[in-house]
Amino acid sequence: MRSLFIDTSSFFMFLAIIEDDHILVSKQEEILTDMASKIVPTIDSLFQKVPFEIKDIDTIFVVNGPGSFTGVRVGVTVAKTIAWALKKKVIPISSLEFLATTPVSTKYCVPAIDARRGYVYAGVYDQELNVIVGNQYILLEKILPYLQDGTLVSRDHLEDSIEPSVDVLEIVHKHQNDAGVNPHELVPNYLKLTEAEENRLSKE
Amino acid sequence: MNDVWILGIESSCDETSVSIVKNGNEEIATVVLSQMDTHANYGGVVPEIASRMHVENITLVIEECLKKASMKMEDITAIAVTYGPGLIGSLLVGVTSATTLAYLYQKPLIPVHHIAGHIYANNLEQPMQFPLIALVVSGGHTDLIYMKDNYSFEKIGGTLDDAVGEAYDKVARVASIPYPGGPLVDKLSYEGEDAYSLPTPLDDTSYNFSFSGLKSAVINLVHNEKQRGNTINEADLACSFQTRVVDILTKKTLRALKQYHVNNLIVAGGVAANSGLRNRLKTLCEENQIHLSFPSLKYCTDNAAMIAAAGYFAYNLGRKSGYDLKAKATDVLH
Repeated sequence: MRSLFIDTSSFFMFLAIIEDDHILVSKQEEILTDMASKIVPTIDSLFQKVPFEIKDIDTIFVVNGPGSFTGVRVGVTVAKTIAWALKKKVIPISSLEFLATTPVSTKYCVPAIDARRGYVYAGVYDQELNVIVGNQYILLEKILPYLQDGTLVSRDHLEDSIEPSVDVLEIVHKHQNDAGVNPHELVPNYLKLTEAEENRLSKE
Repeated sequence: MNDVWILGIESSCDETSVSIVKNGNEEIATVVLSQMDTHANYGGVVPEIASRMHVENITLVIEECLKKASMKMEDITAIAVTYGPGLIGSLLVGVTSATTLAYLYQKPLIPVHHIAGHIYANNLEQPMQFPLIALVVSGGHTDLIYMKDNYSFEKIGGTLDDAVGEAYDKVARVASIPYPGGPLVDKLSYEGEDAYSLPTPLDDTSYNFSFSGLKSAVINLVHNEKQRGNTINEADLACSFQTRVVDILTKKTLRALKQYHVNNLIVAGGVAANSGLRNRLKTLCEENQIHLSFPSLKYCTDNAAMIAAAGYFAYNLGRKSGYDLKAKATDVLH
């Protein structure tokens, strides 16, 4: 099985072409601006390094959030356009579950992404990536109880967090037999309404 | 000469649109998915909601357009996309999808300035004749542009503050006319008389416009009348406001046509749908033997047919982009 893995949900762009249990080629780059203008050139350059073309892949994995709204949209737009155009299977991956592939020595792994104003996007996973607490938008202090036997994993330098060291093969292996979604229905998982929607709801 | 089929993509504000245009003048199929009903709940376009809706709909709209045209991506010559100006999050969806398609199908990628699109909407009615003066009037622009030839844009004047469409929306809000206010103010103005005293804005020798003073005058007038316990006659207010706006737009446009010795005028942008402006320009252009062109109403608001039409001329001039095309919230028309 050949697949393209796309993660643009944070300030890191991660792209990989995977064949069976091997990463053939990958690129991880810190990108602070203009993620959108870098993703297609990077995909193009990666496919120049493998002996097949993008139309020869079977599956696209895309990290669809939570995370940077703009970043997630860029990855999802690329993934759904490829999946629709080339009629490929597309499988959405949670950014938090991807972070949870980081090896930890505790019972739980608690991936978190800074959502500002004291909030984080977070979840709790065990060592086999089983969901203990589902992904949510939550006050950071409310996940602290899980850290008694868990490790906080974050790119955002949260207090007592460790830097992630993600394992793309683990996540691909876990999800490669997922059913996939209709490309038209592939959407970001923001985990949060827009401010305008929240304000409108609170008035009702 | 071979036929050129341009697939256009437009997502700069609150419409997701895809269109196929043949040779820059023949619309084959256009799909416009408007988010207006959603944004009406908030009294205006909410950028983050707009971006979210674009990403939900982009591939559906592309597919629907190809279906409507009975064409495949392989039949397309090149892909044109609005790269700016506009809401950055919205633009990014169209630009990213267009770039991905250009890569997958190995098609030229043609960046199109949104205002060039509005101008070339006129080419879908009849071939544009040069030299011409373009009056671009929309929610974001009020520009007078001199075009010696295709894709040669010389801005001779523009708004110093609010765009004309923006002034319409703000005046509508003050007068409690629902969003989107522009079309309703236009309609109401026919039911009223020019009964209110309002200033003619920036009535000078330049080709620039200013609408913030006129807008403030309307706000003050409404405020003062309310304090005096008088009710506002909305129709009269709409009529007085629209009369001042149309007066200054047509006055400066006609002067530009004379000074540049040009007898072709095209009008472009959302406010080109304004019937007060259309009617006055029709009369004035007949009197002055000016050849006048308006886009049809469906091409006045944002749509991808105009982007594909402009894209045809950009393509012929070799204006291609790499896969690193950047969306731009602001950019000078060039």
